[in-house]
Amino acid sequence: MNRNLLHSNPHVATRQRWMGVLARAGGQLAAYESALREAEYRLIRAPEIGMALVRGRMGGTGSPFNLGEMSVTRCVVRLADGRTGYSYVAGRDKQHAELAALADAHLQGAEQSHWLSRLIEPLEAAQQAQQAAKAAETATTQVEFFTLVRGED
Amino acid sequence: MNAANSSQWLQPAFNDPVLDAQTSFRSALKALAEPGLAQPLNRALALENLHPATYALCLAFLDGDTPLWLAPRFDTPAIRANLAFHCGCPIIAERELALFALLDDSELGDLSAFDNGSERYPDQSCTLLIQLDALSTGAALRWRGPGIKDVRCVELPLPAAFWQQRQARSAFPRGLDAFFAAGDQVIGLPRSTRVLVNAEEAA
Repeated sequence: MNRNLLHSNPHVATRQRWMGVLARAGGQLAAYESALREAEYRLIRAPEIGMALVRGRMGGTGSPFNLGEMSVTRCVVRLADGRTGYSYVAGRDKQHAELAALADAHLQGAEQSHWLSRLIEPLEAAQQAQQAAKAAETATTQVEFFTLVRGED
Repeated sequence: MNAANSSQWLQPAFNDPVLDAQTSFRSALKALAEPGLAQPLNRALALENLHPATYALCLAFLDGDTPLWLAPRFDTPAIRANLAFHCGCPIIAERELALFALLDDSELGDLSAFDNGSERYPDQSCTLLIQLDALSTGAALRWRGPGIKDVRCVELPLPAAFWQQRQARSAFPRGLDAFFAAGDQVIGLPRSTRVLVNAEEAA
């Protein structure tokens, strides 16, 4: 994730990081399902699918334009001890949204470091490896252009 | 309000957000279509001191476009947090700007500040959501008007001041519509209903 997008408060930035990892995890979260569902919890907002408008910037002034809409699934859960977990994930996978919200709730508790090392770090490493592989694959198609010096200083 | 601070108050709302909201809205429509007849409204759970019917009305009516005025009795952190989370409605301090008002029976003596619409847009008036302890423990009053064949006796426990205030704000098509909720039932009182308070009016 672009470091500029992270919040200045380190606690918020840490949570932004894990929520980003969870949102990108997709089907990989299913491997942790039994561990995440172990604690008792209830749904404050059952997983629901909606639309979000995606905006971009272009042109010399950088004024925003509406790129299009994407589907988003969101969910809020509450653990028995009162911690509340939120998730907003791209796509229509309700299971993914529920597990991501559960993971967010677990990560706010006392055993945060346990969940970070067990869940977030492997997922993040896998995502970074995937991204690096994709970048390397794309890099082979890169064309280098050489321009002759035109006499300008 | 910071989500991290308010999330401890959150409770589940409707089990099935779409169907339960539609069912509740239908009950509210029927309540207005047949003033004085109690309609069932049991799709929500109680929220603190909000009865199930009152909370279901809130969940069915309120969204980001409907500023709400909260009576002090209902202005608690839990009710604020849940309305903000499940409805997303702005909660405002100015009665004049409210499209909905959530009231208890101690607030009925002064309705002068609520918007009763304009001649051109009478529909933009404030709708009163009033929670009572019961719907049939008051003096029997006779209601007449659209949706009532002849006359209907309704025994809402309301102070006389409420009927005076309602009369004072009524200049058809302008006026205030009200829902009375208690337990899991609701009674509607649209502005078009005439309530015969005194015996001589009935004659």
